[in-house]
Amino acid sequence: MVDESKLREKAAEVLAREDVRRLIGWKRGTYGFEAAPCVIKDASEAEALIFDPTCVQNPASFITLEEKKPVPRGQEADTRKIAVMVKGCDSRAIVQQLVEKAYDRDHVIVLGIPCLGVIDRRKAAALFGDVASQVSAKVDAEKVAVDVGGDVKTVDRKDILMDKCLRCRYPNPLVYDELLADEVEKWAGDEFADVGEFEGQSPEEKWAFWEEQFSKCIRCYSCRNVCPMCYCVECVVTKLQPQWTRRATDISENTVYHIQRAWHLAGRCIECMECQRVCPVDIPIMTLNRKLTRDVKEMFEYEPGVDVEAQPLLASYNPQDPEDFIM
Amino acid sequence: MGDYKFAKTKLAEVIGAMSDYQVVAPVESGEVVRFAVVDDPAKVTLEFSNTNVPPKELMFPETETLFRFRLGGTDLEPEVPDAAARRAVFGIRPCDAMAYTIVEKLYNWDFPDPYFNNRREATTLVGYACAEPCANCFCPSLGGGPGSEKGLDSIAFDLGDTMYLKTLTDKGEELVKALGGVLESAGEAEARAAAKQVEEAEGKIRRSIDTEGIAEHLPELYGHPFWEQFSDRCLSCGICTFLCPTCHCFDIQDESEGLDARRARMWDTCMFSEYSLHASGHNPRPTRKERTCNRVSHKYSFFPTNFDAIACVGCGRCINYCPVNIDLLDILEKSKQADAKEAQDA
Amino acid sequence: MMDDTNPYLPYTAKILEAWFETPGDRCIKTFKVSFEDEKVRDTWSHRPGQCAMVGRLGTGESMFCISSSPTEEGYLRFSIMRAGKNTAALHELEAGDTMTVRGPLGNSFPVEEWEGKNIITIGGGIGQAPLRPVINYIRANKDSYGDLTVLYGARTSEDHCFKGEFEEFFSEGTTCHLSVDVEEEKWPHFVGFVPTLLMEVSPSPDNAIAVTCGPPVMINFVVQNLEKLGFAPEQIYTTLEERMKCGIGKCGRCNIGNLYVCKDGPVFSYATLKKIPEAFA
Repeated sequence: MVDESKLREKAAEVLAREDVRRLIGWKRGTYGFEAAPCVIKDASEAEALIFDPTCVQNPASFITLEEKKPVPRGQEADTRKIAVMVKGCDSRAIVQQLVEKAYDRDHVIVLGIPCLGVIDRRKAAALFGDVASQVSAKVDAEKVAVDVGGDVKTVDRKDILMDKCLRCRYPNPLVYDELLADEVEKWAGDEFADVGEFEGQSPEEKWAFWEEQFSKCIRCYSCRNVCPMCYCVECVVTKLQPQWTRRATDISENTVYHIQRAWHLAGRCIECMECQRVCPVDIPIMTLNRKLTRDVKEMFEYEPGVDVEAQPLLASYNPQDPEDFIM
Repeated sequence: MGDYKFAKTKLAEVIGAMSDYQVVAPVESGEVVRFAVVDDPAKVTLEFSNTNVPPKELMFPETETLFRFRLGGTDLEPEVPDAAARRAVFGIRPCDAMAYTIVEKLYNWDFPDPYFNNRREATTLVGYACAEPCANCFCPSLGGGPGSEKGLDSIAFDLGDTMYLKTLTDKGEELVKALGGVLESAGEAEARAAAKQVEEAEGKIRRSIDTEGIAEHLPELYGHPFWEQFSDRCLSCGICTFLCPTCHCFDIQDESEGLDARRARMWDTCMFSEYSLHASGHNPRPTRKERTCNRVSHKYSFFPTNFDAIACVGCGRCINYCPVNIDLLDILEKSKQADAKEAQDA
Repeated sequence: MMDDTNPYLPYTAKILEAWFETPGDRCIKTFKVSFEDEKVRDTWSHRPGQCAMVGRLGTGESMFCISSSPTEEGYLRFSIMRAGKNTAALHELEAGDTMTVRGPLGNSFPVEEWEGKNIITIGGGIGQAPLRPVINYIRANKDSYGDLTVLYGARTSEDHCFKGEFEEFFSEGTTCHLSVDVEEEKWPHFVGFVPTLLMEVSPSPDNAIAVTCGPPVMINFVVQNLEKLGFAPEQIYTTLEERMKCGIGKCGRCNIGNLYVCKDGPVFSYATLKKIPEAFA
């Protein structure tokens, strides 16, 4: 576990640097199991930073989310660095953003935090109900200790951690300038059992499932906006000239939206699961992404977000690439 | 008006007896509860605190055809809902019903909106009082409450084995009549139990906001740095607004399939950057900071200035579902501490 | 005037004439239109400064000011700059084609209140379109007003809208000052930005009303300069534009503070706008 006082000290030190503009980490949320991503600009605010299993959000998403107003004539653009705290899974987003040249490596200062897992709010609600007071938690390789207003309960990892954590292959950050705690041991492998299980269904069953799921979509685009890999300046689904997807919410347009997003993430999704976590109507978006992740892995022996030196999958060609899926 | 009751086990029977009406009620589909037209009364559930997606969609659908036409033609076929149709909404929470009384002010200034108004007129609202408020409910701060009757035609209380139904308007009474003899009459005992339940539920509400002075203060904070502590982590997604029972903004788009075309309106949100983007490329609200400021100011200042009602019912959805814990009550409390002078300096 | 049962239904209007005012990517095209429905034609009335949603079925509609004065009878005029999807579709239309018009919408210039006063209009580029009905209204009711002074500038002389009309002003004796932003051959008038032209002409604020419209930056500087010349905020009027969809104060996007530009505007006095920090955003 990372020592929070060390984390705050480090953050203050980084923020005090003249070439650093802001730092993205986590702070305690206003209620229940919530943590909040926290963007701080001054070393004095570092006291608010925390890290524990409630820190579920991916801070790498916020690097590309920032909108900048046009620089007024006579002024220079602020090119100072952004410091960002990342868990293992979050760091894969930075790796992939770097692979895609979203920004230069020296644009960011990465503070890595080895992680033993984060809490799935839906699982927590099933166990603890609707919690108003602020919750903190500790996790080890066996159990999660949840502190609800001083009342500590110990829970089995699988009952409360996010599914991605139960099959995590990269608990330690893959790119960092500094590691804020000792590396943890990798504890799991990913056999894509969930994908296999889903694939076992008949096309009719699958379609019935997705029809029900996509019908719920209200097109709030939270899955897109939270995605660290969805950083296009103009998204194809909101483009009006030409308009590829209608704004009307119906099964047809919703399906187009989700399939389109899944395809745009093929070979790019780093499985932080943020899209599925944020969905206000509980669409299991990762089921689509994981199918593509597994296919990409099997067909091209490619895994995104693990090697800064890699080429983007869809921007590289290998004569040995399988072609049998091309119609 | 009248007092009625029925055994909770007879819920499906009561719903089934509403056959003169199109019945809309909470139904579970794909693991979430949402208001939908009831095809099978057995599917209606009362096991929900509140629906993720608010029933604002019953008056203001996510996507709604305004009129149809043929490409190349000039004849318009309006698709205005029939105000004389009979629709019963069963199980709406008091906060969501109160939201209609707020947004209908906007739908009726200067130009009455026949789409919203006709749907509202055709609908009889049977409320469902809250016994277990959520962690982020704060309806009493906005003049509502677990047993608020605002906007409702009748209200149901879950008293354990019995559902107690109190009618509030002629429309509510008319629906009871249409049910035939399925309901029994209720009396003092049920009314007392319901009142006690409401009082207890109110006691369980943990959050609140003193709205005094906010409407006057917020416009002074345009450009104030305090917004950034929230907007810096905003995803600019549509959750807070789409799930808000009082958010009413929409886009209008023309769509065609071959030569058949329609003009439709669909939910839109001030949190999307393209919402206010001019064709010229100029955007008066270019960053999440201006958009966050506009969202909160619109609810708590602009709308009350125009309509003498805050555009919020305290349902807590924007807080519950925000993926980055942007907490409306936190913003409002912090806005009170923010000094207007610093906004001018910024 | 709007369809009283359903404010979302537009009327069909036939294009009588259409011509380009300016060249280039962001060219401006003027349409002179007349309603197909005789009843609409006969009952239609609007005031200077009012707007309408203009569009094509199948593409959509956008808000434009009506650039003809109510004193110009038998037609409406719209001058439209090509910028996005809707305007590109409208630019494809020619005389004989139809478009849709929904209106009149919004408030208008308080021309009655201005009677007896000197009126100065200060326009830039397409910003002359909402000023044109004011100018023509005053020209048609000359006796009720003091002096009319027209100031208008664009980037180059080719970018001036309503070119031929200025010749009329000169010949009838309406004071008119034209400008271009950059030096060009054979240009007999002022060279420089509109706010500079304003200081050059330096109109007196006594018993005067200044009306300005143009790009937001220009409006900002013009307003500053008018204040320097001694104009009080109540003597300065402008029209604003924001993205709009419904035009009737419901869809939400055009608000500045608690005001909806589609419904409470587009005409605002500077005295009103001064109180709304986001008005000039």
